[in-house]
Amino acid sequence: MEPNKTYNPALSGNPQSATGRVYPNGNPDLGYNLPGARNTDSAVPLHRGKPVVHDYACDGPAPGTIGFRWTYGSNVAAKNRDPRVQVIQYNEDTFILRQNVCVHWEAPFTYLLFGNKGALLIDSGATAEAHLYPLRETVDAIIARIGQVRGWRDIPLTVACTSGEDVAQNQGLRQFAGRPGTTIVPTPLAVMKQHYGLAASWPAGTGRIDLGGRVIDVIPTPGTHKDGVSFYDPYCDFLFTGDLLFPGKINIANDRDFLASLERLKAWTASHPVKWIMGGHIEMMFVPGKAYPRFATYKPYERVLEMVPAVLDEAIQYAREIQGHDRMLIRPDFILLNNVSPDQRTLEWPEGVPNINPPRPF
Amino acid sequence: MDRRTFLTTSSAAAVPLGSIGAAGLARAAAPATPIDFKSNLPAPGSFPDRWICGSPSCMDNTDPPVQVHWYNPHTAILRQNKAYSYEAPFAPLYFGNDRVLLLDEGFVQLRNDWDLRGVVDGCIADWCKRNGRDPASLELLVAFSHLHADHYAATNQFADRPNTRYMGLTQEEMMGFWGMTNFPEERVTLDLGGRDILIWGSPGHVMSEFAHYDSYTQILYTGDMFYRGRCYISFWQPWFDSMKRLIDFCDTHPVSHVMGCHVEISKDGQDYAYGMTYQPDEAPVQMTVQQLREAFEYAKTITKPGIYFTGTVFLCNQTRGTTTIDQNPYRY
Repeated sequence: MEPNKTYNPALSGNPQSATGRVYPNGNPDLGYNLPGARNTDSAVPLHRGKPVVHDYACDGPAPGTIGFRWTYGSNVAAKNRDPRVQVIQYNEDTFILRQNVCVHWEAPFTYLLFGNKGALLIDSGATAEAHLYPLRETVDAIIARIGQVRGWRDIPLTVACTSGEDVAQNQGLRQFAGRPGTTIVPTPLAVMKQHYGLAASWPAGTGRIDLGGRVIDVIPTPGTHKDGVSFYDPYCDFLFTGDLLFPGKINIANDRDFLASLERLKAWTASHPVKWIMGGHIEMMFVPGKAYPRFATYKPYERVLEMVPAVLDEAIQYAREIQGHDRMLIRPDFILLNNVSPDQRTLEWPEGVPNINPPRPF
Repeated sequence: MDRRTFLTTSSAAAVPLGSIGAAGLARAAAPATPIDFKSNLPAPGSFPDRWICGSPSCMDNTDPPVQVHWYNPHTAILRQNKAYSYEAPFAPLYFGNDRVLLLDEGFVQLRNDWDLRGVVDGCIADWCKRNGRDPASLELLVAFSHLHADHYAATNQFADRPNTRYMGLTQEEMMGFWGMTNFPEERVTLDLGGRDILIWGSPGHVMSEFAHYDSYTQILYTGDMFYRGRCYISFWQPWFDSMKRLIDFCDTHPVSHVMGCHVEISKDGQDYAYGMTYQPDEAPVQMTVQQLREAFEYAKTITKPGIYFTGTVFLCNQTRGTTTIDQNPYRY
């Protein structure tokens, strides 16, 4: 790689900046006119005669960033006043929503993706009651705003879960029942397979959700849930893996399926570019191999959500190792639990991984 | 007065006149009749049918930060709100003619987060109003059953409270606070002013733990070594010996209730997993002597580490570091 000519960290920025950005003031070597600019809608001209159409074909991942920290609860959960649904726009067509950990400890992530002809909501949160967790209201408001911006009247919405049986992700579905212009992917396994056209091929084959210029692939990935699926977004180059692979304690429900699904995803990454793997939760801390216990409502030292695709190789290696064994296996970015209690602990610490205990939060 | 003397001096001599302020002197002009804590025992009292036990969404919890239940007019039992800490321990507050004993606290340190000090001051003010006393004349003893943070986290809220002593956070200071020299066998008597609290060592869950017996209500407070939930037994033999001491005590003393620090089990024996913040159907905190005896009989049959259900409590024998009761519900 050619040495960086213009950027001198000592003079231009701090490579160890707290935000984790190597180029806090931008990287001059990249130049100004990046190709991704055409993927972003323009605010000018202000008033347009016809609906805005986005170009979802791009070289490499679409531009976008998680520019903020996730809310992480509070020491006294009863006094938490953070939003019940935290919204971070990743880019103009991609929103990441997180449930407040003081509403439900699972604090699941929900993804809202827009295409030219529709929107997709991936997962629906852990709380059904709209007054506690107003997911529907938040999604409606985002869709209404996007509709105004783009000059659309109706935006059909599809609501799909990474697992229909997962009570940490399916509870919000009830809020969308009866919503006009909405397709809720059925949750019973057989009907879900049929819906995606996978009845005969499951767990091989893939389904599609066409949002208009942005086609989301549906990849069967049972293993942590018998009805688990992952979604691939070719625009952001994201794999949405739900409970199958996320920075946390992965409770394996069937170790053969788990390994097969990871290998299926690995094969997928060989033929499709993947920037990040986006799971459904965060349970790991930012120190390697340490996770918050179940039911924690204060997680000030949380790891970031996104995982690089190389984590897949590691997951496959250790899924093989754990197969057929009732045990817990710690890795820096995730923990595997096979046929043990979700609260299982272990005295085995992975070799070569620094064993750091963050201070008590109080 | 040193530690040994405050344990043994009589209630009349235990109020140093010099410590009574101007307001105290005004009231002291008509001294209230001392309360009789030694007749008609056990003093009747009652536990609530249902304690406040969390909510589905923590941030929407509107219950008081501390539930105060008056077991009888001279005995309050405090419980931390589960939305303030999942540990939600119980904390008895025993009143005597001269001093007040707070046993255990809750799992929050700072007053701005959780004002235990304010609640305790409020209880003392209530009691004093009802009994014609001056709060400044009552000494407060802040102690804890054992050396775990969910039982002492709020300790420093009492640092600037007048006429208050609290226990230090080491085995030595805990023993010294009760004037013990022969832990765990030695049983000391704390005189709250006509109301005796018997205290002895009860190690097993941790090395540094006490059992407390209130001679007025005859409640035996067993801390975390025996409570309605998962008794995490870190050290089997000390725990078993402590159980034997409790049984021997029950053989020789009347006990109205056995009470632990937490509840982690439902009325029908379902485990509420470690860390849960909502226990809608939780079992009562109080247990009978019979339940204690049954658990001891069960314990006699235990020879290996593991989790055992006695019908009342889970005995988690040296399992804390490795396993728990829950299963993954999605296995297929």
